[in-house]
Amino acid sequence: MRWTLLVVVAVLALVASVALGPAAVPLPELLHSDIVWNLRAPRALLAFLVGGSLGVAGAGLQALVRNPLADPFLLGLSGGAGLGAVLAIALHLSGPWALPIAAFVGALAALGLVYRLGLIGGTGRGGALDPRILLLGGVAIGAFAAAITTAIVALADAAELRNAFLWLWGGLSGASWDSVLLVVLYVPIPLAVLLAASRPLDLLALGEESAGYLGADVEAVKRRVYLAASLLTAVAVAVSGVIGFVGLVVPHLVRITWGHRHRALLPAAFLGGGALLAFADTLARTVVAPRELPVGVVTALIGVPVFALLLRRWTIA
Amino acid sequence: MLRRLLFVVLVLASCRPSGRPAVGPPRRIVSLLPSFTEILFAIGAGDRVVGRTKWCDYPPAALAVPSVGEGLPPNVEAVAARHPDLVVLYNAGPNVTAAEQLERIGIRTVLIDLNRLEDLGPATRTLGRLTGFAARAESLAAFLDSLSHQPPPSSTTSTTLAFVVWDNPPIIIGHGSYLDELATAAGARNVFSDIPAPSAQVSLETIAARNPQWIAVLSDSGMPSLPGFAKRREWRAVRAVRDGHFLMLPGSLFGRPGPRSGEAIRQLRALLAR
Repeated sequence: MRWTLLVVVAVLALVASVALGPAAVPLPELLHSDIVWNLRAPRALLAFLVGGSLGVAGAGLQALVRNPLADPFLLGLSGGAGLGAVLAIALHLSGPWALPIAAFVGALAALGLVYRLGLIGGTGRGGALDPRILLLGGVAIGAFAAAITTAIVALADAAELRNAFLWLWGGLSGASWDSVLLVVLYVPIPLAVLLAASRPLDLLALGEESAGYLGADVEAVKRRVYLAASLLTAVAVAVSGVIGFVGLVVPHLVRITWGHRHRALLPAAFLGGGALLAFADTLARTVVAPRELPVGVVTALIGVPVFALLLRRWTIA
Repeated sequence: MLRRLLFVVLVLASCRPSGRPAVGPPRRIVSLLPSFTEILFAIGAGDRVVGRTKWCDYPPAALAVPSVGEGLPPNVEAVAARHPDLVVLYNAGPNVTAAEQLERIGIRTVLIDLNRLEDLGPATRTLGRLTGFAARAESLAAFLDSLSHQPPPSSTTSTTLAFVVWDNPPIIIGHGSYLDELATAAGARNVFSDIPAPSAQVSLETIAARNPQWIAVLSDSGMPSLPGFAKRREWRAVRAVRDGHFLMLPGSLFGRPGPRSGEAIRQLRALLAR
């Protein structure tokens, strides 16, 4: 029943984001319209894929660091991506894909640094990934990257640099069939890695020691989950900038209905995250038309009240 | 001890700030907006400009004036180091604080509004009055006033354009801006003139639906190459992008209201008539 409901909600969100938009396209012409076919449809799909990826990445990271506050962007990736994008503009790298690629590389660099910081006792088999150090390292690397970014923007000549921040908080304006294809080809591998780690992630909730006794290869699981979740987040930031709250709120929402079993939790987080972002983007495009709201504003405006309600229910129950 | 005190007093007395002469027009002006620099040179006060922003690139003679860096917000120490007796600032948030700081160290400042075409006349008159070039300023101001009062030529009003400031997210120019006025004066219609704000974020889909004949882009000096988004697939949903109908407008001429606004209107009209 609840699966049916979730699938219906997800399909409705997708249909709504294709059918609704600031440009008036009559229903009968929906399938033949250039605007719908080349702009709305890829944007709706990209929103769904990015939202789903962020939902799954958030659920995986919250289990990994055993901290309900964990958000895919908490681990320094947004800072790294921002630095990459600003460097691309400052160095006059041109070409339609320069910014997304630079942001992706920046996110990967931050990921690598945070991962290395989090590994206690060397990179070999003996090394252990400490979730607390991952969180602290993520915040520190993110802040450091943001400081360098701000310094470059303050000192460089190019006026476009100020707009790099807009890009970073941008949303889904850059959606095209190219970016959809890229994400469709990219995300299945990290998603599969996370899904395959469902059972050990369940065990990890009992604590690392207990999980080890129950037969989980704790260190391997932690590394795989961290890398897969971060790679999902890195591609999300490359195609759509930093979109907050989806990766934080959706896993919690889903956990309330589906419980803590990751085999159900992760697919539900994908559908839920996808539906939320597709829905939020539809609102962002239509509510103040012809103007547009940054989609992160809408995800926060929807996500936070729902989250607050649930927190109340949690703490009262 | 007493002698040392006397020495200090004497030194202090000799350092009395000389920044504020009681009478006479200012001799050392720092201009903190490219438009003000152009106006000052146009009314004949160019040889009194002793400091400019790094963006002040016109007239060519202005480039010989030392730069004090970014104008907004200004580096107050760099401005003071030019020993100005008048600092002209654009009237906006961070500049108000900077003006107060300069006044506190005895440097006279003036904050001038210059956002739209109709601000040009008053700004020119203010600068003329302050520098003692009131007569030349008045004739320039009268010409600049006429720009905003001229009814646009009606024959070409069917030409439509959109100013795209940034591509992801798309930011366009709305009604409350100088560029919108420039387009109207050149006989074109900004397809986003229904948006009251100077600039706004819109959906790409809205740009495609409004279907402007031209996409106008302000370019940095020199390079009139097409913007990066011209090659992006999603932008090809906009017909003007597909057809390569870009107006690459050098920011130095088109991006600021100033004495050359009439020239900017004339050139834009010529570009649209191609």
